Amino acid sequence: MTTQAFLQVIASGLLLGLIYALIAVGLSLIFGLMDVVNFAHGEFLMLAMYATFGLVLATTLDPVVLMPLVVALMFVLGVSVYAGIIRYAMRAKANPGMVQIFATFGLALLIQGLAQYFFTPDYRNIANTWLGGKTLNLGGVFLPWPQIFGGAVSLAVFAGLYWLITRTDFGKALEATREDQGAVALVGIDRNRVFALGWGLGAALVGIAGAVLAIFYYIHPQVGGTFALIAYVTVALGGFGSIFGALVAGVIVGLVEALTTLILPASLKSVGVYSLYLLVLFVRPSGLFGRL
Amino acid sequence: MNRREVLLSGVALSLAGTHAFAQAGKEILIGCIWPLTGPTAQIGADARHALETAVDIVNNSHDLDLPTAKNAGLAGLGGAKIKLVFADHQGDPQKGRAEAERLITQDKVVAICGAFHSSVSATVSASCERYGVPYIAADSSSPSLHRRGLKFFFRPAAHDEMFSLAMFEFMDALKKKGKKIDTVGLFFEDTIFGTDSSNVQRKLAADRGYKVAVDIKYRASSPSLTAEVQQIKSANPDVLLPSSYTTDTILLMKTMDELGYKPNNILAQAAGFSDKATFDAVGDKLNGMISRASFSLDLAAKRPSVGKVNEMFKARANRDLNDNTSRQLTCILVLADAIDRAKSTDGEKIRAALAATDTPGEKTIMPWKRIKFTPEGQNDDADPVLLQYLGGKFVTVYPAQAAIAEPKWPMNG
Repeated sequence: MTTQAFLQVIASGLLLGLIYALIAVGLSLIFGLMDVVNFAHGEFLMLAMYATFGLVLATTLDPVVLMPLVVALMFVLGVSVYAGIIRYAMRAKANPGMVQIFATFGLALLIQGLAQYFFTPDYRNIANTWLGGKTLNLGGVFLPWPQIFGGAVSLAVFAGLYWLITRTDFGKALEATREDQGAVALVGIDRNRVFALGWGLGAALVGIAGAVLAIFYYIHPQVGGTFALIAYVTVALGGFGSIFGALVAGVIVGLVEALTTLILPASLKSVGVYSLYLLVLFVRPSGLFGRL
Repeated sequence: MNRREVLLSGVALSLAGTHAFAQAGKEILIGCIWPLTGPTAQIGADARHALETAVDIVNNSHDLDLPTAKNAGLAGLGGAKIKLVFADHQGDPQKGRAEAERLITQDKVVAICGAFHSSVSATVSASCERYGVPYIAADSSSPSLHRRGLKFFFRPAAHDEMFSLAMFEFMDALKKKGKKIDTVGLFFEDTIFGTDSSNVQRKLAADRGYKVAVDIKYRASSPSLTAEVQQIKSANPDVLLPSSYTTDTILLMKTMDELGYKPNNILAQAAGFSDKATFDAVGDKLNGMISRASFSLDLAAKRPSVGKVNEMFKARANRDLNDNTSRQLTCILVLADAIDRAKSTDGEKIRAALAATDTPGEKTIMPWKRIKFTPEGQNDDADPVLLQYLGGKFVTVYPAQAAIAEPKWPMNG
């Protein structure tokens, strides 16, 4: 393997890792806020990809232009899912943890079934976009523009989240609710409202990931599953609830996966990631940056 | 004939009459196991159209030169109609097994067809064997399937050894004409389909003096194939031999394009490379790709039923018959013909009728010599064809007797 080929694998792994991080961060946010693992996270991603696809068909605008609209739609979806399902699941008296798991898992199956029914199992693909099919050639290392764009969006999102959480009132309310759900009520923070906005934000974040992914990945009703497992591993590796952890872990997962393929047969590409994950679980069960 | 014999034959006739009458009102249930949900659900959706087209041919009267087409229903069972019962295996062998047992014990199907994924065909046919119910592998092509000594397993179509052999004979022929083919690249998914296919290709390459420049077994439905494609690109084989399902095929072609890699030639083991979804998504990157196939629309010139059946299918599915759907459709016709000849819905009798099948190629829509099963249940006369994708459509380029054009080689030249 030449140096050039090695650099290619590293660069591709890094870009993909940033996208993994972007997919995972919404999941981490919701977990950190209210201890709920959203098993429908992959399906949210799939819906965002279909929303992008549908809007491109309907408006013939570029997916990049349509991103804010997709993100807004996903925000509404997140808030509605909280108000319509999660709020009730959290109130369950017996075994609320299991009820939440079944509620989001059931939601995942429902969304998948509906997508298959309404969108058919056909593979979709957004053709002729501004970025699609264009590649940057850096001395023999090829970087596709959609992935570069995805990486840049991912970094911008993490910077934005950092600002939101540390500098705004909403961010402070979010942090306070994370610290102590009971105490925030005493200082006049509407816990329910924070949770609803948190779900909206989580869904909007995965909506950004979906809109980016739709530019270069095929879309079908099961596409969420391909990325959801990686998102769960990323969140656990980075530490549940840690935004910064999601970023670091996403990049690590992307790089480790790419490097594993160079050493082991390609069919074992996940072995490196899962081994690392197990190692972290043994040594530091809370994940790299977790606060559990 | 004495009075006793007259009386007896009268009784026999009337019994036969009631029997036939009972059968005419009865529907003969056939289990169909395909992926109706999951990543390969599109295959199942297309299969449903193909199988239902076949049912139309059997159950209604059509002017087609195919077995069971002329009569409405099965003449051997007093005009009984066949009915399909669908089950969904989602690409999972264990789900396939459970569904097969449900079809046999609860729905009482007389035979089962399936299953696209060879891994699922393996479990489903094992269950069928246990219950004494015939299994027809319509579109599963792993060679290991018919080598398990099963009595109730039948495969009318070619398996991957026959397909791979055709590919290597094709390459030999090109080499003789002075084309440079020294190295091949294997790229295959990690279930039974890809693994079996690559094993055969590895052996054929060694036997015939081709160097395997790159040999990659990859994980199916990967989020990224960049590192894999990088390895292919570094090795740059004269011919890439991929065995991939649809999602991976789309990703493979996109990634090659992104990494600025144009393969010299692609000789594909169908599957994802013959799925319409692939051509919708990345057809522009596949110009010149050659895939093995069981079917060729060009054949309509020689066998008129091909064109007519294709029109019937197209009316339902809004697309032409392809490698998969033609085999799925044929599987029901083969089975209906056997039930018709067995004049019974008994598993053992249908099995015997299948084993005795001898249908000339002209009475099929396939480019085959004939349908005649070996004791292992394989039809060795199912000649594969090689099709090249040129200017948005497939052209038959091999073997010589079926070819209508010379191959464009190299594909990106």
